[in-house]
Amino acid sequence: MGARASKRGRRRGGLAAGQRRFVLGVSIPTIIYSGGLSLLSIVWAFALMFFEYSPGRSGGPILGLGGNNPFVGLAHFRNMIEGVTLESRLFRTSLGNTLIFAFAVLPLNLLITLPLAALIESVDERFKSMFRAIYFLPVVTTSVGVALMWGHLYHPQQGLLNAAIRGLGGSPVYWLNDPRLKFLGVSVAMWSVIVAYLWQDYGYNMVIFVAALQGIPQDLKEAATIDGANAWQVFSRVTVPLLRPTLLFVCVMTMLSSFQVFDVVQVMTNDGNPANQTRVLVLDIYLNAFRYQRMGWAAAAAFVLLLAVVIVTVVQMRVLRTEWEY
Amino acid sequence: MATVAPSYESPAPRSRRGEGLGAIRRGLGRFLLYFFLLVGLSMTLTPFIWMIFSAFKTATEMARIPPTFFPEAPTLANFLRVIQDPRLPLLRLYGNSVFVAVFNVFTNLFTSSLLGYLFAKYEFRGKRVFFSYFLLTMMIPSQVTMIPGYLILVKLHLLDTLWGLVLTSFINAFGIFMMRQFIETLPNELLDAARIDGASEWQIYTRVVIPQLGPSLATLGTLTFMGNWNSYLWPMVVITTLEKRTLPVILSWYSDQHGRRPHVEMAATVMLVIPVLIVYFFFQRWIVQGMTMTGLK
Repeated sequence: MGARASKRGRRRGGLAAGQRRFVLGVSIPTIIYSGGLSLLSIVWAFALMFFEYSPGRSGGPILGLGGNNPFVGLAHFRNMIEGVTLESRLFRTSLGNTLIFAFAVLPLNLLITLPLAALIESVDERFKSMFRAIYFLPVVTTSVGVALMWGHLYHPQQGLLNAAIRGLGGSPVYWLNDPRLKFLGVSVAMWSVIVAYLWQDYGYNMVIFVAALQGIPQDLKEAATIDGANAWQVFSRVTVPLLRPTLLFVCVMTMLSSFQVFDVVQVMTNDGNPANQTRVLVLDIYLNAFRYQRMGWAAAAAFVLLLAVVIVTVVQMRVLRTEWEY
Repeated sequence: MATVAPSYESPAPRSRRGEGLGAIRRGLGRFLLYFFLLVGLSMTLTPFIWMIFSAFKTATEMARIPPTFFPEAPTLANFLRVIQDPRLPLLRLYGNSVFVAVFNVFTNLFTSSLLGYLFAKYEFRGKRVFFSYFLLTMMIPSQVTMIPGYLILVKLHLLDTLWGLVLTSFINAFGIFMMRQFIETLPNELLDAARIDGASEWQIYTRVVIPQLGPSLATLGTLTFMGNWNSYLWPMVVITTLEKRTLPVILSWYSDQHGRRPHVEMAATVMLVIPVLIVYFFFQRWIVQGMTMTGLK
């Protein structure tokens, strides 16, 4: 009886002494570490955006806030919306560029990766892994390397692209340096960055799609074929609807990572040039925080980035919850 | 008869009539399939090839307009130039990158598996809050916590040190999440059996749980290694002394110095990119597996 009671007690959540010691032994250092670093960082980041903070000035006793780093309330956000100073105009430019970037990358990425995955899925097993491995190469390449490789392809005199254009009788294009060049209303420099980013990123989504395609039962497709559907109809009416959860996941991940683009842009365009046409949000945050020491402002800009991420994630969770079951 | 049969008869003539045509169409389909895949393949490989070829070209060949595709007189001079550059203590720089990547792999594998085990197999008060907190930190972009992270390192006098660089990434929420998913599938009987045999909880973790985690540890390890090896923004913020920098930051700095010598720049890029590609070819299977495992769950 006593033994049974203690057993039940253990199941209810009261752990044996050894287990309790283990749980405490693991969680206490974790809590100390996370509390001291990540939780403090989060709280600090939220506090910073209400202050005019620069690490060079001596401020108040708590986290250096106050004193020479005065409290400014929501002034940063007001400036972002309606300010006429250079920093607020640059912020709006950066936000706009980030949205252009993200909304161009997402459809182009899907347009490449989904058909590509379907093609790879339908080849022989031994070729399949080879194709998948090679298409994945750019993903594992250092983004600084990607930026330099593409910068070299875009080089006005020595680049491969202009060599091809010259070969076809055209005149060389200054892909990354000419602020007047536009395509579909977006600067050519921005398009050039988008292409380099797409090249680096498509292998990721492609691998996820290939795995999802492999998970679709073959007999569903066969049934559709027997009913007289052609390959395109099978793809669009059977495969794509079944891919929906994966598609949503991929859309959100692609969106989130393109909101956070930095490396490729910073290296390729020399801090967002020409004429700030490729200045993106994270670049703006980085330059403000670490080059101009305007950390309060940068924290406020980072909060806008967080808002964008939260909005995309919440929308995704809503859609997923309603669409997941079928 | 005519009203019953169509469902059987109507597909038959179509297939009979289209037999020859079908073979041609299937052949054409296969041709187009491989054609598109090869076009995509060459677009994927061209930037790599262009980089490698450029790295072997001489300065005079590089300056030619229009540029050559194949290097006419392949030379190692560009690589030697990078290696012999007195501003680049290469061994030290590679060492920095290896230290950061390997150190993070070990700490992350340890903390992710330990905390993953804790969340998967123990019931304790506050577990939900604790776990939700890690999920929350996963959602917050690193650029948001980057500024206070920097200020914390200033306070700890760890700015511009490699220890400062690794200190902030001991715990990886994504890794915890991934390990928890996997450890949950381990049967409780296995752990209870070890308990009956008198093993302590720590021994169960090291002797029973860890050996079961092989593939997922390999996956997490490879992803962590690559992520850290390629990381750029945070190392650039933390490290300011040249010889303490990691390779991507150095490469970016070096290319600024050599904007007019793309052949040297490309040689340096090759030297950074190739080690990762080698690691990738060895661990490719784990990466693809890990992506599909974490991507779909």
